[in-house]
Amino acid sequence: MGIFDSLDISASGLSAERLRMDVTSENLANAQTTRGANGRPYQRKEVVLQQAGGGSFGAALAGVMGSTSQTAPGGVEVAGIVQDATQGQLVYDPGHPDANAQGYVRMPNVEPVEEMTDLITESRTYEANVTAMSTAKSMYTKSLDILR
Amino acid sequence: MSLFDNTEFTLSAAIRGAGLRQTALSNNIANANTPGYQRQDVDFESALQSAMADGQNPDSLQFSVQTDASAPMQPDGNSVDVDTESAKLAENGLDYESLITVAKARLDILQSAMGGGA
Repeated sequence: MGIFDSLDISASGLSAERLRMDVTSENLANAQTTRGANGRPYQRKEVVLQQAGGGSFGAALAGVMGSTSQTAPGGVEVAGIVQDATQGQLVYDPGHPDANAQGYVRMPNVEPVEEMTDLITESRTYEANVTAMSTAKSMYTKSLDILR
Repeated sequence: MSLFDNTEFTLSAAIRGAGLRQTALSNNIANANTPGYQRQDVDFESALQSAMADGQNPDSLQFSVQTDASAPMQPDGNSVDVDTESAKLAENGLDYESLITVAKARLDILQSAMGGGA
């Protein structure tokens, strides 16, 4: 275990939460976008997180051997950004250029309320990571006192 | 009699333990939104207690990060509660600082006994 491990771990949490916030903001910004990158209505995106170091050989071996102890904590990492494939709702708007023959427009599957609550969770978790980081910093500063 | 007694070794082992616990708790907070993640913790106090009861030298004690399977799980399989973790983190940080203060005080005593001036 290195002395700066927990700073690195908190930093990985900070960047993961920041990316989640970026993606949530993108979803919100495109809540009314009927022409996405592929010309179809925008589909909301979601970040998939996974435990860093969890896929290592050592961790797998420890799991198989039934050991409760784990490899050193390694923080969090982004496994990928996935698209939510559910269909958006149809809105009757015959004047819209993207309306179909019946006058309905397929809207993005973004639910602003859902995105707002996600945003709150993300910013709270971000703050918790900042707190963890400042605790670690004050601990390291304190341990320098021994040398004084 | 050696310069450093058992208390000094116990203190240094506890400081190591609290440092590792800080890493484990930071990891819990970093993984607060990771589906399927189970919280981890380091119970260095009971490891130290049993080592002292057995008369084992605490200096050679190795602490390990344990998965806490007893914590209540959310629907996505994650068992981290950010508030609890923050409280534990604050508690562990204070533990660490008080351990450092005691260790420092003992070293100062040694230093003044040696005439090093402290």
